[in-house]
Amino acid sequence: MSLKTTFEQHPERRYIMFGGKGGLGKTTFSAATAYWLASQGKKVMVFSVDPQASLSDIFQKDIFGKGPVKIMENLWAQEIDADQHIKQYQGEIRQKILDMYGFDKVPDEIEQYIQAASAEPAMEESAIFDAVVDIVVEGNYDYYIYDLVPLGHALYYLSMAKVYDEWINKITHLREEMREYEEMVSRLKREKETEEDQILKELQYIRSRINASSRILTDKVQTAFFFVIIPEEMILIDTQKAAGLFAKFDVPLSGYVVNRVVPRELLQQQIPSYLRNRIQMQDKYLLQIDEMFGKQVSAWVPELERDVTGLSMIEKLAGIMYAK
Amino acid sequence: MPEEKKGFMQNLKEVIYGMAAHDMSRYAVRTRASMEHLFILITMGDMIGIPILPPYYSLRLLPYVVPQISTWKRRLLREKDISDAMF
Repeated sequence: MSLKTTFEQHPERRYIMFGGKGGLGKTTFSAATAYWLASQGKKVMVFSVDPQASLSDIFQKDIFGKGPVKIMENLWAQEIDADQHIKQYQGEIRQKILDMYGFDKVPDEIEQYIQAASAEPAMEESAIFDAVVDIVVEGNYDYYIYDLVPLGHALYYLSMAKVYDEWINKITHLREEMREYEEMVSRLKREKETEEDQILKELQYIRSRINASSRILTDKVQTAFFFVIIPEEMILIDTQKAAGLFAKFDVPLSGYVVNRVVPRELLQQQIPSYLRNRIQMQDKYLLQIDEMFGKQVSAWVPELERDVTGLSMIEKLAGIMYAK
Repeated sequence: MPEEKKGFMQNLKEVIYGMAAHDMSRYAVRTRASMEHLFILITMGDMIGIPILPPYYSLRLLPYVVPQISTWKRRLLREKDISDAMF
């Protein structure tokens, strides 16, 4: 099924993701899809979950850390600045400590922990993960297009949701058990009701954030996940592996988009053998792709005469991707 | 008279509480405290060098455990098992 018919037949699929190895065209396809949907009159948000995001480059506009930036009619783009997000978050935590206990400064021991925790490698991913929830939960767009991180990271991102969820379940359970003991003490001492457990409330909040995000990633109705591939052996092998892993995490796979196909019309012209060889090589893998994925291939996208940056090139690519 | 009687009842209540329930509630308070420390260990483990997942959301919980942090650290270092008492 072509990309266009997929979108037309499934208007309920609002969360669109392009995944794949690095440098194959995830950002390009995200931008082109966003452009096409916006030109169809849909309100679209395309955002990047990659710390090394390149939406700024493709739209030729600096949007890093600037919140939702309007690119054209109906189209907004956003790049999350993880550092800024973490700094702001740390500030909120400090302020909360000061307010709760009336300190004039955060105790050294605690301050050290806040800083050490923020230096951990998982922090950046988690911060982006959390920021995405903000973007998606607000929900005033018709479509959300995730410009995903390369495969390895994306899997990490997905597994993080599961790990978080289990972690939260365990500690929520512990917390509830603690509460039972607390209640028992107050019953024995015939005291009034115990205070509400703020931590339990906080845990429930965290859980709701994580669930909101992982629910979308694995939503069979509203989410469409496309793999971007190119006709080369290594990519095909890796993608097959990754597809298996994604399936394990219940990511609903909608199709494959093949990028960088050298136009076959060139064969009718006088072309150097270098190019002829490349076409032959691609032919072999295109055949393989057809055997492997068959009808799951949603689009074959040609190698263009230049790289895709700027709205006019994006428009051209969208025209090709969504021609039929 | 009723005042005196109330005092007597109050005393009786306290005696009964002391005989029947005090131990239980002391035990419950202690269990509760151990659990509190276990909880801090799970959420803030990396504070003492035990990296337990995941720091981003642990920070949200940090403000609530600030007062317990120092007793928690002290207790972890002091923790003994039964063999320490035996020998």
